[in-house]
Amino acid sequence: MQPYFLSLLIFSPLLGILVLSLISKEQEKAIKWLGVLATLPSLCLSLFAFWQYQNGYDISQLTEKRSWIRFGDFPFLRETDFTVAYELHVDGFALVMIVLTTILATLAALASVSIQKEWKGYFQLFLLLEIGMLGVFAASNLVLFFIFLELTLIPMFFLIGKWGYFEKEKAAYSYLIYNGLGSAVLLIVIAILFARTGTANIAELRHILTDPIAQMQTISPISDDLRYGLFIALLVAFGVKLPIVPLHRWMLRVHVQAPPSVVMLHAGVLLKIGAFGLVRIALGLFPGQFQQFSTWLIVLGVVNLLYGAFLAFRQTDFKMVLAYSSVSHMGIVLIGLGSLNEAGMQGAIFQAVSHGFIAAFLFFFVGVMYERTRTTTLARLGGMAKTMPYASGFILAGAMASLGLPGTSGFISEFMAFVGAFRAEPWLAAIGTLGIIMTAVYLLRAVLRITFGQTTVTNVHDLRGIEWVPAISLLLFIVIIGVYPNVLAMPLQTTIETMMNGLGG
Amino acid sequence: MMENAWLIPLFPFVSFVVLLVVGKQLKERSAYVGMLLTFISLIYALGVLYERWTAPTYKQAYTWLTIGNVQLTVGFEVNALNALMLVVVSLVSFLVHTYAKGYMHGDERFPVFYAYLGLFTFAMLGLVISPNLLQTYMFWELVGLGSFLLIGFYFYKEEAKAAAKKAFIMTRIGDVGLLIGMILLFLEVGSFEYEAIFAALQNGNISTTIITLSAILIFVGAVGKSGQFPLHTWLPDAMEGPTPVSALIHAATMVAAGVYLVATLFPLYEASETAMMTVAYVGGFTAIFAASIGLVQTDIKRVLAYSTVSQLGYMMLALGSAGYVAGIFHLMTHAFFKALLFLAAGSVIHAVHTQNIEQMGGLWKKMKWTAPLFLIGTLAISGFPLFSGFFSKDEILLAAWTHGHVGLFIVAVIAAFFTAFYMFRLFFLVFAGEARTNVHDVHESPMVMVLPMIVLGVLAVVSGYVQTPWGAFLGEWLTEGTNWHAHAEGPSWIMIVATIVSLCGIALAWLIYGKQAIARDWLSSRFPMTYNVLMNKYYVDEFYGLTVMRATAFISLLFEYIDRFLVEGIARSLAAATRGIGRIGSRLQNGQVQMYGTVTIVALAILVVIFAVTGGYL
Repeated sequence: MQPYFLSLLIFSPLLGILVLSLISKEQEKAIKWLGVLATLPSLCLSLFAFWQYQNGYDISQLTEKRSWIRFGDFPFLRETDFTVAYELHVDGFALVMIVLTTILATLAALASVSIQKEWKGYFQLFLLLEIGMLGVFAASNLVLFFIFLELTLIPMFFLIGKWGYFEKEKAAYSYLIYNGLGSAVLLIVIAILFARTGTANIAELRHILTDPIAQMQTISPISDDLRYGLFIALLVAFGVKLPIVPLHRWMLRVHVQAPPSVVMLHAGVLLKIGAFGLVRIALGLFPGQFQQFSTWLIVLGVVNLLYGAFLAFRQTDFKMVLAYSSVSHMGIVLIGLGSLNEAGMQGAIFQAVSHGFIAAFLFFFVGVMYERTRTTTLARLGGMAKTMPYASGFILAGAMASLGLPGTSGFISEFMAFVGAFRAEPWLAAIGTLGIIMTAVYLLRAVLRITFGQTTVTNVHDLRGIEWVPAISLLLFIVIIGVYPNVLAMPLQTTIETMMNGLGG
Repeated sequence: MMENAWLIPLFPFVSFVVLLVVGKQLKERSAYVGMLLTFISLIYALGVLYERWTAPTYKQAYTWLTIGNVQLTVGFEVNALNALMLVVVSLVSFLVHTYAKGYMHGDERFPVFYAYLGLFTFAMLGLVISPNLLQTYMFWELVGLGSFLLIGFYFYKEEAKAAAKKAFIMTRIGDVGLLIGMILLFLEVGSFEYEAIFAALQNGNISTTIITLSAILIFVGAVGKSGQFPLHTWLPDAMEGPTPVSALIHAATMVAAGVYLVATLFPLYEASETAMMTVAYVGGFTAIFAASIGLVQTDIKRVLAYSTVSQLGYMMLALGSAGYVAGIFHLMTHAFFKALLFLAAGSVIHAVHTQNIEQMGGLWKKMKWTAPLFLIGTLAISGFPLFSGFFSKDEILLAAWTHGHVGLFIVAVIAAFFTAFYMFRLFFLVFAGEARTNVHDVHESPMVMVLPMIVLGVLAVVSGYVQTPWGAFLGEWLTEGTNWHAHAEGPSWIMIVATIVSLCGIALAWLIYGKQAIARDWLSSRFPMTYNVLMNKYYVDEFYGLTVMRATAFISLLFEYIDRFLVEGIARSLAAATRGIGRIGSRLQNGQVQMYGTVTIVALAILVVIFAVTGGYL
C-alpha cells in the first residue's frame, strides 16, 4: 500500500466537495448521487485496509509522518521538542472505527435522499464532517486530533441548524456550546501536556508519562496531582461527547432536532469519539489515574445505563426514546472500561461499534417513518405492521439488537461488558443488570406502540428502492458481528493487549 | 449421522429464511416448505437417536470469540438427553406444522406464520444441541423471540400485543438471573462448557457459595421460561397466540426448556442441597397453585395453560427430588399429551369459534375424531392407569417420596386430584351435555388437522411404556455412566394411591358436570371468597401492577424531574452565571485608565499569590 494511504483515505471526500461546488445547486438528482458517490472512495479504501489487516498485513506500515509546525528554536532543546508533525497511524481499534465511519457515511448519504432543500450545501458539509471524523481516529498526535475534532464541530453545527426540525437553531447552539466547552477543556489539557513535555505525539506522551526514567528526563515533570487534574479534565471533555450523565442534555436535542440522516452519523460515530478518546487518551496517557478511578467509572456507567433506561420508558416521542437509549447504551461502554479487564475493555469497544450500527439503523427508520407519516409521536402511530410490514420487521429487529438479543452485536458487547464488570465489581454489575430488563421494557413499549395495535396512518408505502440498501446492509453488519464476533474481536486483540499492558497486566 | 447433527436445527432455519423472502409469492404453499424441512429434521433426529442408542456422546466445538486468552466456543453435542429432546421437539414441531395448514387456512399472514414457526423450531433445536451454557443462553433468548413473535401474531389485537410484551419481559427477568448465574460460574470455572463445569464440580474447584448462588440464579431463568411461580403470569396470557403455537411453544417445547436446563445442569444442582430444595419447593408450590386456578377458569385454552404451569411444576418437583429420570420422562409424555390437548382444543375452537367453555357442550357426537382424542389426552394427563401420564406421574410421586419430601409428596397428590378434576370438568363441559353454542354447522376439522392429533394420541398412550415399574428402559439409557437412579424404588402403595386419587377426581367431575348430580355452584357458593381469589388467579397480576409497575413508573417520573429541572436547571444557571460575569466584565470596560490599572494590579496580585502557594509547580 502507498505511503500516503491514510491521507488519501481521510481526505478523499474532499474530491466530492470540490466537484459538488462546480455543480449548479438546482440539480437535485446529480447532487444526491454525487454526495453518495463521494463517500465511496474512503469506504473502499477502508474496507481494503481492513481486509488486508485480517489477512495478516502489518498495519503499522501505514504510518505517515511529515514535519509540520515548530514552536520556537531554542539551542538547549532537542530538535524534536515543541514540534507538531502531521502524523497519522492506525491500530486495530482505530481501523475498526474508520471502517464503521465510512460504512455509516455511505449509508447515511443514501438516507439523505429525504433532505428537502439545499442539497449542495448539505452534502458539502456532510463530506467535511466525514473528513473530520476519519481524521480523529487516525491522528497520532493530540494537536491533529484536536483539529479534526473541531472539524467535526462546524459542519455538524450547520447541518443541525439548517436542515433540522422545528427547534433546530436551539439544538445547534446547544450542541456547539456543550461540545465547544468540552473542546476547550481538552485544549487546556493538550496545552499543558505540550508545554510540559514538548511533544504532542500520543505514543511519545504515553512513554513519557508512564515510564519513570523518561519522566525524569522530560522538560518539566508532571506531578501526580496534576495528572489527576488532567485525567478528570479529559473525563469531562470526552464525557460531554459520550455523553456521561449529567452532561447529556445537548445530545437529546440533537437526536430530536437534527435530520435523521445526520443523527445516523451523530449517534453512530460522533458519540463514539467520546469512547475512543477515553480509551486512547484518558486511559492511554493516564493508566494509573484511570485505575484509581475505575470503580467510579463503573458507577457512572451504571447511572448512565439506568438513568437513560428509566427516562426512555417515559418518553412520548420515538426519537426521544432512542436518544435516552443512546445515553443508556453508552453506560455499557463506561461499565466495560471501568472493569479494567480484557472482557470489559473488549465489551466497551464492541459496544461502541455495535451501538454505532444499531443507532444508525434505528435512526434510518425514524427517517423512513417520518417521511411517510410526518410524525414520530408514539401516540399518533400504530399498526405499522399492517401498512409497512417490512419496515416494521426491521424496526423490531433493530429494537431486538438494541436490547441485546443473542445473534446480534448488541448481545456480544453487553455480555462481555457484564462479564468484565462481574469480575471487577459484582454488586455494581448486579445493579446494572436491571438495565437489561429495563431496556427490553422501554424498547418494546415504544416499538410495539408503533408497529402493533390498530393502524392509525394508512396510505403509506413500505420500503422501496434505495431504502433497502441501508436497511439490509446495516442489519447484516449487526447480525454478522452477533453471529461471528471474532470478525471484530481479532482485529482488536493487539489494541486490548496494549491497553492491558499499560494497566500493568 | 451424529457428526452432522448440527444440520437438524438448520433445516427449519432455511424454512424461515426462504419463507421470509418468497413467502408472499408462495402464499399457502408455504406450509409445504415448512412441513418438508421440519420433516427432514425429524428424520434426521430419529437417525441421530437411533445412532446414539449405542454410540457414545459426540461433541464438536469451534472457536467463536476470543477474550484475552480465553477462547469461547460454539458447537454441538449429542448425548442421551438431547438426542431424545431432538426427536420430541422436531416431532411435535412437524405435527404442528401439518396441523396449522388447516388451522391457519385463509389467514392473510399465513406465510409469516410459517416463517416464525421455522424460526422458533430452529432456535429450540439449537438450544437442545448446545454443548455449553453460553450457547444455550443464546438460543434460549432466540426461543423467546420466536415465542414473542408468535404470541403477537395477531398484532392488531391489543390483548395479543400486551401478552407478547408481557411474555418477553417476564421471561427476560428470569433470563437476567440466568445470565448472572452463568457469568458467576464462568468467572469461577473459566469456561462455559458443561464438561468443564462438571469437571470443576467433581474436583471441588468451585466454592459452595458460588455453586448454590449460581444454581439458584440459573433456576430463576428456568422459572421465567417454564412459567413457574412467581413468574408464571405470562404463560396463560400467551394463549392469545394462535392455538398451534400454544401447542408447540407453550405446552410441549419452549416452556419445557426450563426443565431441560435444570436437567442438563443436574450435577450442579446435586452439589447444592439448598438449590435442590429451592427447585423442589418452587416446583411443588407451582404445581398445586396453578392447578387450583385451573379449577375455575372458563377459557378452554387458559385451563390448559394453567395445567401446563402445574405440570411443569411437577417436573421441577421431580428434579428437585433427585428424580432426574422422572422429570425428563414426564417432560416427554407431557409434550405429547399436552400438545394433543391443545391441538384438540384448537380443533374445537375452529368448530365453535369461541374459547369459552360455557358456550360449548355436546360436541361428542359432532366431532367424531376430536372428542375421543381429547379424551385420550385427558385420561393421560389425569394419570389414568396405563396411559402415559400415569407412569410418569407415578415416577414423580415415587421420587418425592423416596427423597423424603413427605410434604411435597402430599402436595403432589392433591395436585394430581385437582388435575384429574379440572381436566374432566373441561371434558364434560365441552363434549358432554347439551350444546350451548350459537354455531349451528359444527363439523369436524379437516384431515390435515386430525392426522397430527391421531399421531399424538397414539403417543399419549404408548410413550409411557418406555419407563414402567416393570422395566426402566428409558431411565437406564439416560443415566448410563452416572450414579443417578434409573428408577426410583418405592413402596407400591404409591401407585395405588395415585390411581385412586385420579379416579376420585374424575368421578367428582363426572358427578358435577357429567351426571349433574351435584349442583355446579355447590362448592363455589359455599366458599365465595376462595372462588373469587381463584377466579382472579390469586390477584398476582394486580399485585405486580401495584408494586413493580408502579415503582417503575415512579422512578421514571423521578428521573424525569431530575433531568428536566435539576440537570437542565444547573446548566441554565451556569449559563446565567456566565452571562452575569460577562455583564460585570463589560461594565469594567468603561474607558477609564484607573479602572484598567486596578484590574491589572489585582490580577497580578492573584497570580503572585498562586505562584507563591504552588511554587510555580503543579
